[in-house]
Amino acid sequence: MSWKDVCAADEVAENSLKPFNVDGISFLVANVGDGFRAYPPVCPHMEEYLEDSGLCAKGVLTCDRHLWQWDMKTGEPKGPAEKPLLMYPVKEEEGRVMVNLEKELEYDFDDEDD
Amino acid sequence: MLIEIEKKGQTHIFEAAPEEKLLFAGLRAGISLPYECSTGTCGSCRARLKEGNLEIGWPDAPGHKNLKAEKNEFLMCQATAKTSCKLGVPSKIEPFRDDDLTPLHHQASISNLSMLSSDIMRFEVNLDSLISFHAGQFFVLKAPGIDGYRAYSMVNYEVSTNTLEFIIKQKQYGSFTDWISSSDRVTNEIEIFGPLGKATFHPDENHDLVMIAGGSGIAGLMSIMEHGCKVNYFDSHKASLYFGIRTWDDMIFVERLNSMVKRFPNNLSVQMVASQESSDSRPPESIGKLSHGYGWVHEVALNSLTLGQENTMVYIAGPQPLVDATIRPLITEIQLASGMIRYDSFS
Repeated sequence: MSWKDVCAADEVAENSLKPFNVDGISFLVANVGDGFRAYPPVCPHMEEYLEDSGLCAKGVLTCDRHLWQWDMKTGEPKGPAEKPLLMYPVKEEEGRVMVNLEKELEYDFDDEDD
Repeated sequence: MLIEIEKKGQTHIFEAAPEEKLLFAGLRAGISLPYECSTGTCGSCRARLKEGNLEIGWPDAPGHKNLKAEKNEFLMCQATAKTSCKLGVPSKIEPFRDDDLTPLHHQASISNLSMLSSDIMRFEVNLDSLISFHAGQFFVLKAPGIDGYRAYSMVNYEVSTNTLEFIIKQKQYGSFTDWISSSDRVTNEIEIFGPLGKATFHPDENHDLVMIAGGSGIAGLMSIMEHGCKVNYFDSHKASLYFGIRTWDDMIFVERLNSMVKRFPNNLSVQMVASQESSDSRPPESIGKLSHGYGWVHEVALNSLTLGQENTMVYIAGPQPLVDATIRPLITEIQLASGMIRYDSFS
């Protein structure tokens, strides 16, 4: 398995994102209040870096480029967003955030299943 | 040349003329290709070439910065087809809304140029036939002998018209501005394409309005104000326009705005917000019934908004830093739904 110890649980403030790069894979860790989520680093729309363009408010992530939005817990699209956020498996163990990076997740330009 | 796009099992086919930008060819065929600025800057109209040959156009377009060359990505607003092509696009392709106005190419001529302030010029574009557009939309204009189109929002609004009114900030875009400012132009004929843009006003949506303009961004918001006045929208809906300028000398459209405010004194307000005037400077008397403020226009406007204004549509028009600085607090502090914010990104 490719579970990676990424950071301490108190390193990512509630309702915020923090970028990480482990073994050459870039991703974002989000603190959603009752746990953590990990997404690819870019918006699935125009591949803007959500580290810069992402706004977190009330459990909703908004890319300020074209206002695509997602439920931070489920990754499901809201409002004008056409694609969900992809999510890496995440678990919390002894105050550490662990992310499974077995396979790098990337948004498919021609994804017909979105 | 035939252009084919397959998306979600559906095949969309349109004809592109030689030298015609693929985005414009698709839009005029009623296919809702993704775009924002339509002039090479924002990158929203990126697509992938799957078969065929094309000319990518303006090689230094700022919108190229996020494209993947190895995946044959290009900007539809810049590219022209050399052969029939098959393309991929990343967004949904849906039919235009029923009342959407299909954009078309037009030949037109410019007239009635005048200076409104030290650096804002007003001009009109005259067409041979009547056209319609939504308040808040823009056209792209191309001058003879100058590469590429420039986007300008209409100032006026009519249900249908053969005159489009624009303003242009001098020296803002260089070549087109130089051309239109030149007294020795050999022709007044230009090519235009439109209407374009999604930051539009629709009275049947029944929203209160907050409009935030920086500099020449006032153009599209004037069109919204004109439309609202024509249909007496402000008899029953509140609207506030915040117009950001540097100094009182930059005030334009003061008489037109005054007549609007006088007509709807209970629901319509306009505030001129000067970023480079000290708070002890007073605006000239010509400001009339318009109020005034000091500092950054978005900060003044945001101070007027409160949590829970669920029926307020916010329009933002102006330089990209103004748009960015306004959107962040609207989402995170005012917690406005993203569907209640409208703007067109030109960078």
